[in-house]
Amino acid sequence: MVRKVGEIVTDQLSKRFGKIKAVNRVDIVVPQGSVFGLLGPNGAGKSTTTRLLCTLLKPSFGTAQVGEFDIIENPVKVREITGVLPEEGSHTLYPSMSAYQNLEYFAKLYDVPDEEIPGRIEELLTFMELWERKNDRAGELSTGNRQRLALCRALLHKPKVLLLDEPTSALDPVAAKRVRELILSLAKKYKQTFFINSHNLSEVQRICDRIAIIDKGQILLTGTTAELREQLHAKQEYMIRVTGDIEKAKSIAESQHFVESVKVGVDSLIVTIDNPFENNSQLMQGLLAAGVNIIEFAEEEASLEDLYLEVLNGGGD
Amino acid sequence: MARSKSMIVALADIRMALKLRMVKMGLVVSAAFGPLMTIVLVAGPSLVFTGPELEMIASFLVPMAAAMLAMFSVIPATMISANALVGEREQSTLEPLLCTPMTDRELLWGKTLSSVLICSAILVLGTLASTIGIAAILLGSGKQLIVFPDLPGLFMLAVVAPIVLFAVVSLMIIISGRVQRVYEAYQMSGFIIMIFMIPMMAPIVSMQSGAADPSAIWMWNFVSFLLAVVIAVITWAVAIKQFNRDKMVSLV
Ligand SMILES: Nc1ncnc2c1ncn2[C@@H]1O[C@H](COP(=O)(O)OP(=O)(O)OP(=O)(O)O)[C@@H](O)[C@H]1O
Ligand SMILES: [Mg+2]
Repeated sequence: MVRKVGEIVTDQLSKRFGKIKAVNRVDIVVPQGSVFGLLGPNGAGKSTTTRLLCTLLKPSFGTAQVGEFDIIENPVKVREITGVLPEEGSHTLYPSMSAYQNLEYFAKLYDVPDEEIPGRIEELLTFMELWERKNDRAGELSTGNRQRLALCRALLHKPKVLLLDEPTSALDPVAAKRVRELILSLAKKYKQTFFINSHNLSEVQRICDRIAIIDKGQILLTGTTAELREQLHAKQEYMIRVTGDIEKAKSIAESQHFVESVKVGVDSLIVTIDNPFENNSQLMQGLLAAGVNIIEFAEEEASLEDLYLEVLNGGGD
Repeated sequence: MARSKSMIVALADIRMALKLRMVKMGLVVSAAFGPLMTIVLVAGPSLVFTGPELEMIASFLVPMAAAMLAMFSVIPATMISANALVGEREQSTLEPLLCTPMTDRELLWGKTLSSVLICSAILVLGTLASTIGIAAILLGSGKQLIVFPDLPGLFMLAVVAPIVLFAVVSLMIIISGRVQRVYEAYQMSGFIIMIFMIPMMAPIVSMQSGAADPSAIWMWNFVSFLLAVVIAVITWAVAIKQFNRDKMVSLV
């Protein structure tokens, strides 16, 4: 048997709740220092996977390695080297403790040396722009600020592995961007490994090196972001923005033998073209000859969303 | 070298419990009520009665006061331990706590320790306050001193009460694994207190007439003691077995 190398390696990882197979024979490899994104619809098994990896749940079958430790044989060691942002992280703080006290409590439980605790807390709270509010009770902070605080808590002990369940879900765009940049810089600088659950596809596309799509507990697709991008570019979609009679433009496009499909938007067409490098100019000429005014003709930016929807719909429309 | 994680958890729990008005009130009331009642029961009759009549009344009021003082010191444990486990789950702070590198044992012990620390303090301070209060009233009014607690009372307060305390907390831990809300745990705690109330109060209830029979008091104290030991051992074993992360998270 070939031993796979990586900071997180799952081996047939499975969890049942009664009849529900929440996680079903999942095999994932996450190399050290990389950012991994687990995508999937509601109830797909993302949070359950995270809970298995941080040893909150025991697998019904299979196992996983986190760092050099097995989650079943060495759960305490696994917890030592992981930082966790639970699902709905903003609700997981002690409302009656101050922001500072929340972090202090966990710093002690994670064995951060006493003399390093104040500095570490100040650094994190300052980064998340919460330092001025350090003495406010966590219950009085806004949802987004509580989420930032929960992120600080996950990072306190400089864990090798971070399991973040929807880290930017409650954050405003500026804060979300800061967190994304933080994740990237930590992964690069300190080789910390990130395992992120998310619904935010464009975010995942931006920061993750590797992605897996999970549904009904099973991994449907996995690969590096580069691999997935290649897969996406096999489709040749173009956006043609026009003024004037869009229906006419549509019928002209459809009449071309190399056009596979045409979708109509408000002022534009999305056209799937066979062999575009040869045929694009012919299509353009056809449209111009018919008096259609073209304002834009661009390659459609293939997004992860397309792939995601395609995979989940079982291979497209 | 290693800081005790259990102690860190226990101290945080105590701090949080004291921020809840209901718990704080409950603590103050039972901490104050125990010694006040003891002083009234023990010193009061001396101010009214004398001679053999007083002796008869004192013979059952003094042990009864000890039993009640013990009871009132244990009751707060149900509140604190209910908040320590079910409360954390209810406010969803249990999950991050379970993600820390504590062992199940350390966490279980921490959650037990918070109740044990507070209740032991109430028990010791309450007993001291009662002893001093009674002596002050009796000597101040020129009456004959009654030493509180007497020997069976001391047994009740120093030996039986701590074991009952332990048994109550481990019962609460087992209950915590089965209920979703703090108030459900509170409701169940009433039954737990009843279990121990019966043998502890039995000598007074079973008294027919005349002076209390010291051997009956000793007997019932031993019954309480044995009951507490048996329940403590069984529930602690069950609690240790039940107390695992998977179960607590799955129940959420
Ligand atoms: N403690 C539990 N008891 C029973 N079933 C559970 C439990 N936790 C999760 N499940 C079930 O397992 C499946 C996966 O849930 P999970 O929370 O992992 O989904 P998710 O991918 O995180 O979804 P979301 O995007 O909504 O957060 C769901 O069908 C859910 O109902
Ligand atoms: Mg989830």
